[in-house]
Amino acid sequence: MLSSSVIKSLQKIVGKENVLTAPEELATYAYDATAMWRHRPDVVVLPHDAAQVSGVLKLASRHGIPVTPRGGGTNVSGGSVPIRGGIVLGTTRMNRIIEINKTNLNATVEPGVVLQDFQEALAREGLFFPPDPQSFSGCTMGGVVAENSGGPSCLKYGVAKQYVLGLEVVLADGRIVKLGGLTPKNRTGYELVMLFTGSEGTLGVITRITLRLLPVPPASQTIVAVFGDVATAGETVTDIIARGVLPAKVEFVDSWTFGKFRGLLPDKVLDESEVILLIQVDGLPETVKAEAERVAALCRATAGDVRVAADAAEAERYWQVRSAHFSDISSRARTIINEDVSVPRDKIADFIRLGQESARRHDVPLSFAGHIGDGNFHPVVLTDKDDKEHFARALACIDEIIEIAIALGGVLSGEHGIGLEKQRFLKKAMDPAAIDIMKQIKAVLDPKHILNPGKIWEETPDEK
Amino acid sequence: MKNNPALEPLKQFEADLDKCTRCGFCMSACPVYREEKVESAVARGKLSLVRALLDGELTLNAGLADKLNMCTLCGTCAENCPAGTEVPAVLTAARAAKVRQRGVPFPYNLIYRWLLPRRRLFGGVVRFASWFQGIFMPKTQGTIRHLSMFLSALGKGRHIPRIAPKFLRQQVPELNLPPAGVATQYTVGYFTGCMTDFVFPEVGRKIIGFLTRNGVEVRVPRGQGCCGAPVFLGAGDFATGRRLADANVAAFRDVDYVITDCATCASAIKDYVKFLADSDARKRDYAALGDKIKDITEFLVDVLKLPASAYRVAAEFRGRTVTWHQPCHLGRHLGVKEQPRQILKSLKGIKYVEMPGADTCCGMAGTFSIYYYDLSRRIADKKMDAIDATGADVVVTDCPGCQIQLTDGTLRRGAPRQVRHVMELFE
Repeated sequence: MLSSSVIKSLQKIVGKENVLTAPEELATYAYDATAMWRHRPDVVVLPHDAAQVSGVLKLASRHGIPVTPRGGGTNVSGGSVPIRGGIVLGTTRMNRIIEINKTNLNATVEPGVVLQDFQEALAREGLFFPPDPQSFSGCTMGGVVAENSGGPSCLKYGVAKQYVLGLEVVLADGRIVKLGGLTPKNRTGYELVMLFTGSEGTLGVITRITLRLLPVPPASQTIVAVFGDVATAGETVTDIIARGVLPAKVEFVDSWTFGKFRGLLPDKVLDESEVILLIQVDGLPETVKAEAERVAALCRATAGDVRVAADAAEAERYWQVRSAHFSDISSRARTIINEDVSVPRDKIADFIRLGQESARRHDVPLSFAGHIGDGNFHPVVLTDKDDKEHFARALACIDEIIEIAIALGGVLSGEHGIGLEKQRFLKKAMDPAAIDIMKQIKAVLDPKHILNPGKIWEETPDEK
Repeated sequence: MKNNPALEPLKQFEADLDKCTRCGFCMSACPVYREEKVESAVARGKLSLVRALLDGELTLNAGLADKLNMCTLCGTCAENCPAGTEVPAVLTAARAAKVRQRGVPFPYNLIYRWLLPRRRLFGGVVRFASWFQGIFMPKTQGTIRHLSMFLSALGKGRHIPRIAPKFLRQQVPELNLPPAGVATQYTVGYFTGCMTDFVFPEVGRKIIGFLTRNGVEVRVPRGQGCCGAPVFLGAGDFATGRRLADANVAAFRDVDYVITDCATCASAIKDYVKFLADSDARKRDYAALGDKIKDITEFLVDVLKLPASAYRVAAEFRGRTVTWHQPCHLGRHLGVKEQPRQILKSLKGIKYVEMPGADTCCGMAGTFSIYYYDLSRRIADKKMDAIDATGADVVVTDCPGCQIQLTDGTLRRGAPRQVRHVMELFE
């Protein structure tokens, strides 16, 4: 519990209406989009600018109060759950788009801007920011940077870090620091911008972001292909890229989500198939036409059914099913464990086969979906954390799947981050010396460990 | 707390509660969250509060009750929910739990339990209020203060329309037959709703005239009352809701269809069976009435199947640019989206322009706009921006509640624009 004088000080810094202390407010800041992590903060503050953020951090630093930065709270790592209580610093009211510059192809935004709103504002100017995590309708730009978000478009366009040009960051002691700049090329000192990109709120609070943009591709085309088995689908993807087509997105869903494709694709084909690939090519209309034809031809050679979307509305229906995948799976079980491993493209078929074998051995339901084009998968185990025996098997299966991915040369997290959810695997997945360097950096920037404590490498305290 | 009988109405929707995975798909489109930017404003926050309530982690205090109330029930969250969570239903049931535990606050308790079920008396009170309105705000629409009863709450700086000098049911007979030479194809009951009856009787007269000319016998049963939307959906008072529902069932037994010009009334009547059916007899009666109820545009397009030539634009609107606001209850709750647009696009003599986000909530939501007038106004401002972008000089809709909100927004902005019910466009 925080003393009433701390609360009063917070109210003085950000204004009374931006400090939440009622239990019914705090309860709604206890979670993110994971199933397993929950902890109420003692107070929620919603600052409006960097000066207020600085004031909050100075106060927290003085009193040693934990501060968990939080944007939309749509992350799936436990990263924005205030596991040690204290202050949740919500950025949702810092939500101005400060500038969209068409000539310089950049934009400057505050951290609380919702990605979808940003995308819509850019689209009106014919511009495009590629990272597209599936939580785009709730996630905020601060989170996109702090979690170094990815999404389907990253196959061709890369992840958030490829677009961050400059940041304004408030450090744990309240100092406001400007990093990077406005230009796409900038070789001035260490890449400190990258230090905060993907830092999961443990090194500072991002209060302003300058992003590189692209002109929006004038045309796109969606191809849907249904495959009898995963290996064939994986080989087809490799083949498409080897033949010189780099699609914007190549997404993959397994039969768990086929229900949502019924009515869009023939039942017979769905009944006999294991996976669906959703492929989008984009660019100039003539390129798109040629690429779509080549992709469709290659798929027809190996797939049970191939559809080329007749128009944007049809394409949108397919992509909606893909976007809904995670929630669709989540709603089928009391608890789901969602992983985020990434494997080299030539190991995709091996990874899925070994993963399915593991699920059979542990006798737990397993669903695969994800960004097959870049080898980033979201294996999901469906379980119930109140069923101790089943839950233990589910955890054992997930452990094994992660080990399989790492043994195949993959990584622990492609785009979700470590947060709380994956910290128990960190030692297996990262060089111990690298973990040490991270801890030393943390000690320099946040010596009192007030910023998002309990995340990334520390062990989770035992739950009461 | 777990066995608290007040939480009984929630049990039916507990499965919906568990569907929510907090993925956040509900966030960017929620009109309340867009303004407030706090987690308790958005569906996943509210659902987690209801879960905490059922689990005994929170108590139903005034603060929590406020969070349950602070929602327009526009249904955008449910529409965007990949798991298919019926958020408005959960919140309605939670409001019912709130009433069981905390009761309805004064003066709403008197209005809901005592006044709304007594149609004639209600009319009398509205008439009484209108005298004051006449004194304080002569001639045009403007600001009123200190009116009695619930009208006082409407007066927080809001422009409200004048109470009609003569109510609809004082102007039209109970039975309205097609003119001589026009064969009767259907017999419909007209559920006039409080607003059309007391405030916009001219809309009702237009509709009756239009329908009878097109071969529809229109009955306006005197036994009908309030649809119950503010009572059981808004305030969660299910017991009074049943009294109103039963009266409406009795009033509309002998007709093919029941038509309304108010999307909220139609939606509320369809919802009787979901929330209020506590016996087999009621389940049967409520389902039957729910099947018969049709929005006016839905009836014209889907049942009567009128040709485009049947719609002649009244002289006053010829040459004007018209845009359409889709009420939440019409589009999302009743699924009527294309029918009004089909009529509007077919009209000769006007230019129809679709506004961006025509289906976005206007922020009225009945009593929501009384409890949270400032918030309601901010939501309306976004709607006004969208209307401005069309350049339209007439906005039409199909819900008197939306109409009041859009009028308020238009007057506050001083925009040279008319807000009308879609049926007013016609001769």
